[in-house]
Amino acid sequence: MSKERDLLLDKYSSRVFKNRKSHITQLEFGENGDEITANTRAIPGIITARGCCYAGCKGVVVGPVKDSVVITHGPIGCAFYSWGTRRNKAKPSYEGEPNFVPYSFCTDMRASDIVFGGEKKLEEGIDEIMELFHPKCIFICSTCPIGLIGDDVQAVARRVEEKYGITAIGYSCEGYKGVSQSAGHHIANNGLMRYVIGKGEEAPKGKYSVNILGEYNIGGDGWEQERILKKIGYEVVSVFTGDGSYETLKNSHLADLNLVMCHRSINYIAEMMKTKYGVDWLKVNFIGVGATSKSLRMMAKYFNDPELTKRTEEVIAEELAEINEDMEYYKSKLKGKTAGIFVGGSRSHHYQMLLRDFGMETTIAGYEFAHRDDYEGRDVIPQIKADADSKNIEEISVERAVGYDDRYSVEELTSLRNQGVELDTYNGMIKDMKEGYMVVDDYNMFETDQLIEEYKPDIFFSGIKDKYAIQHGGVVSRQMHSYDYSGPYAGFRGAVNFGRDVTMSLYTNAWSLVKPPWKTMPMLEGTLGGAG
Amino acid sequence: MKSEVKPLVNLNINPCKMCMPMGSATAFYGLKNCMTILHGSQGCATYIRRHMATHYNEPVDIASSSLTEQGTVYGGSENLKKGLKNLIELYHPEIIGVMTTCLAETIGEDVPGILQSFLEENPGYEDITLIPCHSPGYSGSQYEGYFAALSAIVSSIKMETEKNHLVNVITAPISPADTRYLKRMFSLFGIDAVLLPDLSDNLDGAHDPSYNRLPHEGTDLAQLKQMGGARFTLELTAFHHKNSVGEYLSETYGVPYERLPLPVGLRDTDAFLNTLSHISGKEIPDELKKERGRYLDAMIDSHKYHSSGRAAVFGEPDLVYSTVRMMCECGVMPVVCAAGSASPELDGLIRPEISDLAGLYLVDEYKIADKADFKDIEEMIVTYKANILAGSSDGRRIAEDLHLPLVRRGFPIHDHVGGQRLKMLGYEGSVEYMDEIANQLIDTVETTFRETLYDTYYKGTAIDQKKEPESAEEIMKRKTKEHPCYNCQAHQFARIHLPVAPACNVQCGYCVRKFDCPNESRPGVTSSILTPEEALNRYLSVKEKMPNLTVVGIAGPGEALENWENVRNVFELIRKQDPNVTFCLSTNGLKLPQYALELKELGVSHVTVTMNAVDPHISGQMYQYIRYMGREYTGDAAGALMVANQIAGIRQLIANGILVKVNIVTVKGINDSHVPEVVKTVKSLGCFITNIMQMIPVKGSALEHVEPVSNKQLNEIRKQCEEIMPQMYHCQHCRADAVGTLTDDKSIQLKGFVAEERPVLVPVSKSLRFAVASKSGVVVDTHFGHAKEFYLYDYRNGEVRFAGKRSVEQYCQGEEECGEKEDKIERIIAALNGCSGVIAMRIGMEPAKKLTKLGIKPVNTYDMIEDAVKKAAEAM
Repeated sequence: MSKERDLLLDKYSSRVFKNRKSHITQLEFGENGDEITANTRAIPGIITARGCCYAGCKGVVVGPVKDSVVITHGPIGCAFYSWGTRRNKAKPSYEGEPNFVPYSFCTDMRASDIVFGGEKKLEEGIDEIMELFHPKCIFICSTCPIGLIGDDVQAVARRVEEKYGITAIGYSCEGYKGVSQSAGHHIANNGLMRYVIGKGEEAPKGKYSVNILGEYNIGGDGWEQERILKKIGYEVVSVFTGDGSYETLKNSHLADLNLVMCHRSINYIAEMMKTKYGVDWLKVNFIGVGATSKSLRMMAKYFNDPELTKRTEEVIAEELAEINEDMEYYKSKLKGKTAGIFVGGSRSHHYQMLLRDFGMETTIAGYEFAHRDDYEGRDVIPQIKADADSKNIEEISVERAVGYDDRYSVEELTSLRNQGVELDTYNGMIKDMKEGYMVVDDYNMFETDQLIEEYKPDIFFSGIKDKYAIQHGGVVSRQMHSYDYSGPYAGFRGAVNFGRDVTMSLYTNAWSLVKPPWKTMPMLEGTLGGAG
Repeated sequence: MKSEVKPLVNLNINPCKMCMPMGSATAFYGLKNCMTILHGSQGCATYIRRHMATHYNEPVDIASSSLTEQGTVYGGSENLKKGLKNLIELYHPEIIGVMTTCLAETIGEDVPGILQSFLEENPGYEDITLIPCHSPGYSGSQYEGYFAALSAIVSSIKMETEKNHLVNVITAPISPADTRYLKRMFSLFGIDAVLLPDLSDNLDGAHDPSYNRLPHEGTDLAQLKQMGGARFTLELTAFHHKNSVGEYLSETYGVPYERLPLPVGLRDTDAFLNTLSHISGKEIPDELKKERGRYLDAMIDSHKYHSSGRAAVFGEPDLVYSTVRMMCECGVMPVVCAAGSASPELDGLIRPEISDLAGLYLVDEYKIADKADFKDIEEMIVTYKANILAGSSDGRRIAEDLHLPLVRRGFPIHDHVGGQRLKMLGYEGSVEYMDEIANQLIDTVETTFRETLYDTYYKGTAIDQKKEPESAEEIMKRKTKEHPCYNCQAHQFARIHLPVAPACNVQCGYCVRKFDCPNESRPGVTSSILTPEEALNRYLSVKEKMPNLTVVGIAGPGEALENWENVRNVFELIRKQDPNVTFCLSTNGLKLPQYALELKELGVSHVTVTMNAVDPHISGQMYQYIRYMGREYTGDAAGALMVANQIAGIRQLIANGILVKVNIVTVKGINDSHVPEVVKTVKSLGCFITNIMQMIPVKGSALEHVEPVSNKQLNEIRKQCEEIMPQMYHCQHCRADAVGTLTDDKSIQLKGFVAEERPVLVPVSKSLRFAVASKSGVVVDTHFGHAKEFYLYDYRNGEVRFAGKRSVEQYCQGEEECGEKEDKIERIIAALNGCSGVIAMRIGMEPAKKLTKLGIKPVNTYDMIEDAVKKAAEAM
């Protein structure tokens, strides 16, 4: 039953074969479950889609915090490459709130700074920032050379805090740490937990309040989620970190419930907030109409208030009525088509649910930088062995803070879980897939090409690096990182946008014009003069 | 040059450059069957692939040695060797470019050594050409990285030195479309060229379902090897590079070479074609002559549009150089020329032409800079008033902010499709580029000329009557927008404070009013007091010299409402002359309940109330005394009255649609911790903004010795209060006779306006000084015997001028000297030394006699002070 997998692995040399075979699994759903190896080093020279630790820390987690200045400490390249590339949308929440998301700040280190150290330049650069922009919070993100030349960014951050009375966090998120962006997420989470969360005292005013964790507001996804939640009556205290702000993140520990979107990049904070402040977390998925409705219902169950449940159902019904006609049309165009999806952390799972709304199946799915729990569910965490690379990333432990209690007892939580409320847990992507489908960890260009050839999906969702190669091969590809400047795709209205974009991609005229007339028309018949 | 934009020293904000490996990877993409690997963290390869793919809309594959933390400690050679092996087995390249990164260079990797041992360990790979390239991100930008790779390629490849007929062509970074242009030119002249690099197909490929991942177009190894035997090298870049390929081939293999700028614009394309003609021995083909003719025709046709352009050009040095030269030819004035990379030669190369054009257009200021970031570029664009931008798509943020058109060229183009197809080379590429610039300028005119014409020729004239009247709400919004004290964005608008209100009904602990003081700038100070008529004249003459004057305010030097007649007259007089100007008034609020309605009727739209506390006890400590309805109050009673009246008054103002700003003077130890309470209260009343100020310890005031709150503490208070409601951060503590914009007070320069325009009525005569008994400072309202102070006025040439105040106590020599017997009257008289007359509401018979004896004329009257002085003087 693993024909395609064997075909794929056949092409590798024995050494690469040995490494890659455990990262590629064709689902069987047998007694032993489908295991996969993940979060290990990428093989050099195989063109991996992975980025680095700095990309995870600066590019993903702290970059979208709009009222904070993020300084890239290092030579200029990384600052340029991480400038505005994730399309995190942000706008000031009130008049006069600063928005630094469109900026890129860098110490622009030169050869002499590498020799003599860059701490002084960094500190003086921060003086310039304070004079020009006076932010409330500064994140310093280190790139490769910093750890090697011995600049102490944490010490600089402490001095800045003292000098200006603001919050400053020095991140040692050098590109070579860990095995992918994932290390950067973890490092970023630790800093936010240590220096930001819990600093505020402004309690939410609403009856039920939530944080949305792991939502980066690509293409405005976070705004659609907030719209729905507010319509029901929830107060959204903070969003980690799309369109987020230091001013709101610091109050996040006072919310009633954490909603986790991207499990990979933010589960550390979800877990630590549960331990320290007793805030439960719920794995939600607002990508897909069915998934969104299910998530909203789990939330209502969690709060267990008939009024809230009634309102939740009303909103779901209203929203469905609004999009029903469009959804039916796009479904008629898309039903029965297949898709492949290779993205970073959680989208490969989330988008399968949305595709299913349109009657599409995802036969190939993979993550860039996920861990085993993202594939197989958090139950496997005790089985995951720490290796040299993961040991290098600091684990911080927190204790219950005074004055914070759990909302529910252990028994009550168990009972809620038994009712289908996915509290403080995540079941992983694989359980939502089907037998025979292929799951690939840390996919590379070679495997992408091979799998497309074998599975022939109608559409392949991936990123800009793969997009043009896939399209040269005759399969349409849409970017799941930036949505090709479209979006939002989340929630109810987003689903319609997605349906429209996918339909338009599959039915665009160009595909029917690939073959020129001279390939199909019969050759002219006749003889050359003189030959007869 | 007059203006100066100062770049930051330690920070790059919004970079206009990338790092070396980006340029190196681009250069290697011009070779056939070549793959590249970056020795370092995998993020470098990922980032560069992502950016190149977005620009070229093509797949870009760059491998990585994926160094980890362990590699940084033990060296990365194993990773690099593994990477090379996997790359070879999966892609079978003929050439591999091995580029370094910040990480590899910082840990000191010996890449040539590693490659050597890799080949030794792996027999069978000898045929693969491995090219090591030094490209640490901290040693330069992508521009340097690009040339470093070209140099690495020619110096690593073993050349065949046998002479051949080929011509080497080394190009600065150009688009695939422009590369195709060059190839067309060479074929027109019958020249067999070896392009280094040749990006024409690998980064702009045709749709082909049998797509091959290995770049299979571009310059092949066989051609590269022949470069050493070529008959000529043409290097197309305006700059001399330290690792020039032309120079290297000339020195090493004796290949003659010539360096020319990129063929952009008329002169440089002419020079390029001329050189091709020389090399090939062929005449310039007719089709190119026609292209030249068409370009020239376009230059002439478009010159009037071009001449309206003030351009900002930014990007890689060659792009800036060539674009600027072409613009100068066409008559577009480049006012900002900025290279992101270091380029010390740039200025010297382009300044002469820019300076010539600037002379023709009478443009004084322009700027040429290298190592610029987009923060610098934006500042320069504003300073030198550019109206069109040309460069990479990273200029889009500025274009959006400043509403300027951006013509995209160079690398990267991330927000538009087709970066790989943009053209600028040759007559045809140049004409496309210049047409785009002209069309953007035309579009700007097209969308704005109606407004410009209207503003220039019609606005405010008799035919400008059709406009819909503004609604009350719109008027209010506009006025607030144009009021420099209510909107910190309104700093281009000016205001005038008319000092018509000398009297005050409270004595604030921090206040000393000064009436003839040009040297201090703070509330309560003025050079002179004006009558309503003088105030009108002053307004009219200032308005003539300052068209941006939008606001007339009355801010003392005393309390406006305590001088109500004057204030009302001023507003009425000015309104008759100018129906639109904004009226603004500042008050301590004590009499606000009495006058709020009248303020509304007079058309006062903005009122500032100074309210330092909402707690009577705290409020009371701010005043030595207050006077209300003929009685004096101190302490808590004063505070209670103040707070009650202030709040009632503010309520009335807001109910009448008047915008209220509340000033809070912070005094350490009295109200500094109470300020947020005040802000909360006024917020709930519906005030617009609060202005929390420091108390300025003025010499002679009751709080003279209280240390002012520090700027830091003040800002903390403001920040804290900002969460409650908007705060004013730009208060300038204006004088009562301030004129101009907030940052440029002209009160001293403009104070002569009134005097200048008044004819001298009589020849210079002796001036007379009068002492006036008055409490209000406006009306002669005090009995001689009750006077505690006198207002001194000088009369000279028909003019009455305020000359200061004298307190009776001050002139009393104390009991020892004056003796207990000396009565009160004697003490008062002692204060009148040097006066020609004294004017009071009532002067008793006895004192009048004594005064007359001393040569001081007593005058009994109840009148406005000035009128009384005039009459008294004329009677003498």
